[in-house]
Amino acid sequence: MSNRVIDISNLVKTYQISEEVSVQALKGISLKVKHSEFVAIMGASGSGKSTFMNVLGLLDSPTSGRYVLDSIDVSGLNDNQKAEIRNYKIGFVFQGFNLLSRTTALENIELPMMYRGGVNAGEMRDKARGLLSLVGLAGREGHTPNRLSGGEQQRIAIARALINDPAIILADEPTGNLDTKNTIEVMNIFTRLNRELGITIILVTHEPDVADFTHRKVVFRDGEIIQDTPVRRGKTAGRKK
Amino acid sequence: MNIRNLVITAFRSLAKNKMRSALTSLGVIIGVASVIMMVGIGSSARIAVRDKVFTYGANAMSVTYRIKPFYEKDIEYLRRNVLQIKNITPVAARETVVVKYKNRMMRSRASGVNNEFFTIKEWPLQYGRYFTFLEIASYQKVVILGNTTRLELFGNTDPIGKIVLINNNPFMVIGSLSELGQALSGRDQDNVIILPYTTAAVKISGTRSFEEIIVATYSEKMINDTVTEIKEYFRREHAVPRNQPDDVKVSTSKEKLEMAEFISKTMSLLLAGIASISLIVGGIGIMNIMLVSVSERTREIGIRMAIGAKKNDILTQFLIEATTLSAGGGVVGILIGLLIYFAITAAVGWPFVFSFFSVFVSFLFSCAVGIFFGYYPAKKASSLKPIEALRYE
Ligand SMILES: Nc1ncnc2c1ncn2[C@@H]1O[C@H](COP(=O)(O)OP(=O)(O)OP(=O)(O)O)[C@@H](O)[C@H]1O
Ligand SMILES: [Mg+2]
Repeated sequence: MSNRVIDISNLVKTYQISEEVSVQALKGISLKVKHSEFVAIMGASGSGKSTFMNVLGLLDSPTSGRYVLDSIDVSGLNDNQKAEIRNYKIGFVFQGFNLLSRTTALENIELPMMYRGGVNAGEMRDKARGLLSLVGLAGREGHTPNRLSGGEQQRIAIARALINDPAIILADEPTGNLDTKNTIEVMNIFTRLNRELGITIILVTHEPDVADFTHRKVVFRDGEIIQDTPVRRGKTAGRKK
Repeated sequence: MNIRNLVITAFRSLAKNKMRSALTSLGVIIGVASVIMMVGIGSSARIAVRDKVFTYGANAMSVTYRIKPFYEKDIEYLRRNVLQIKNITPVAARETVVVKYKNRMMRSRASGVNNEFFTIKEWPLQYGRYFTFLEIASYQKVVILGNTTRLELFGNTDPIGKIVLINNNPFMVIGSLSELGQALSGRDQDNVIILPYTTAAVKISGTRSFEEIIVATYSEKMINDTVTEIKEYFRREHAVPRNQPDDVKVSTSKEKLEMAEFISKTMSLLLAGIASISLIVGGIGIMNIMLVSVSERTREIGIRMAIGAKKNDILTQFLIEATTLSAGGGVVGILIGLLIYFAITAAVGWPFVFSFFSVFVSFLFSCAVGIFFGYYPAKKASSLKPIEALRYE
């Protein structure tokens, strides 16, 4: 097994808007991400970051290009196989949290494991509780999303992303809807997951402060990568907290 | 996802919207309840009708003719030679007559019979007495009134010994019958006057012949043989050529019963059919709500797909939801239907008939309704694309 979680070459995504008009959102992206990397993707609005993340997460198919995820070439997989990969290998964290409403924190966290099957209810419950305390929300098992703050909801979403021990966490603007305090809290959790558990994380952000928590900064412009640099230490003051 | 988890997921979804789930099931509840009720009332009515047919006399049969009427000698012959016959009576002057008493007047149905008539029909007197042998033999103008006729003419006063005019002939009232109630056809069986057959033939219809013979056998098993013997006798007696059909028609209580059964069975089928339409309307209600629910829950479906739900998982979840609603509605509907049916039978005094079959079929049918009408919305939900479902506002 190679030590690359993601190996992408010449990825193109074209949106056909009408018969004549099409938008090339990704113009031949190549990117490799190793195990335990912590990557920030930045760039102006409309530069193709979300499009790229959706392809990474197998939520959307590229128009062309090669994509190997955790040693599996996912280009030719069918819908069911993609659903399985999303379930086993990928944890999603969205800007809008995307928790199920009127569903308790614990049940939200368990959801990916429900679809995985073959796990008994007790094990599932224990694991979900463990993750709930990992994100600092022990005791909130029975709370539904409408009784949790934005920051708390995002931490539940992170716990949900972790329950199937994914190879990678994909987060599209996870702090986009959060204030500074909650942003720092969420980023601290990501940092700990990356450092202590060695989980690969790719996140999209507009905020340089958020990017400073990561180790590598990839910048998009008009569907292309224009910059791919390590984040310099010393600027990452927030991480020490 | 395994089926157990899918069931849990579907149940949780339904529990999130208890009010809506209940309202969605309402159509099926009403549909199933009406099916159960209608089928029940149908079978109760059947039993009620059956009891009524048997008041005619369990082992009785009625003989009528097409061309040649009956005479005294036919009665005598049958009584002597057909050993299965227990009771036999002619019926003469089976027609509507005008009955007057003082200034009151009404139309009644006349029957000229002998005393065995009352035995065959199991029809007891309420007041007075039966005919005497002498009265029959000597064409006496005496009459026994049916309950309605008595009430109309005499009210609460004593009719015995009074003189009434029947088609302007004076007759003396010697008795009156107990109440029999309505016939199957709705005709009032108590609006009758009963005369000696001799008197009736001569004074009312002006002949010596009879229109009908009523016979009762000793037991039900003898009915078929008796019918055959009666038919054979009249073929000979009426000299019917071999290639011609019988001149007489023999209808038994059994035939009437079968007829009544057929009518009431058709009625219950019809009722059940109408009720099933409401069940189908209930199914359409489920489809409607499920469709609304699918578009309302598009984002939820997107989330589920993003974290690993397959098309089949979504399809199955929605199917389970729809089927649970309809099957649950079915169970509640069955209980409510039985309850209302019971209340109705208790109020009307009909027998309560519990039919396991109709309960079972209604339940199966309501499950089928859920699967059938839930499939389209479920299919729609499962064919959403994850990224589009997630972006849905
Ligand atoms: N479903 C779609 N159909 C057509 N065009 C689309 C679609 N999704 C994205 N685009 C276009 O693709 C380009 C890239 O969009 P994308 O959402 O990836 O940008 P982004 O970098 O995530 O921007 P932001 O920072 O605002 O989220 C944009 O020009 C956008 O208009
Ligand atoms: Mg975006």
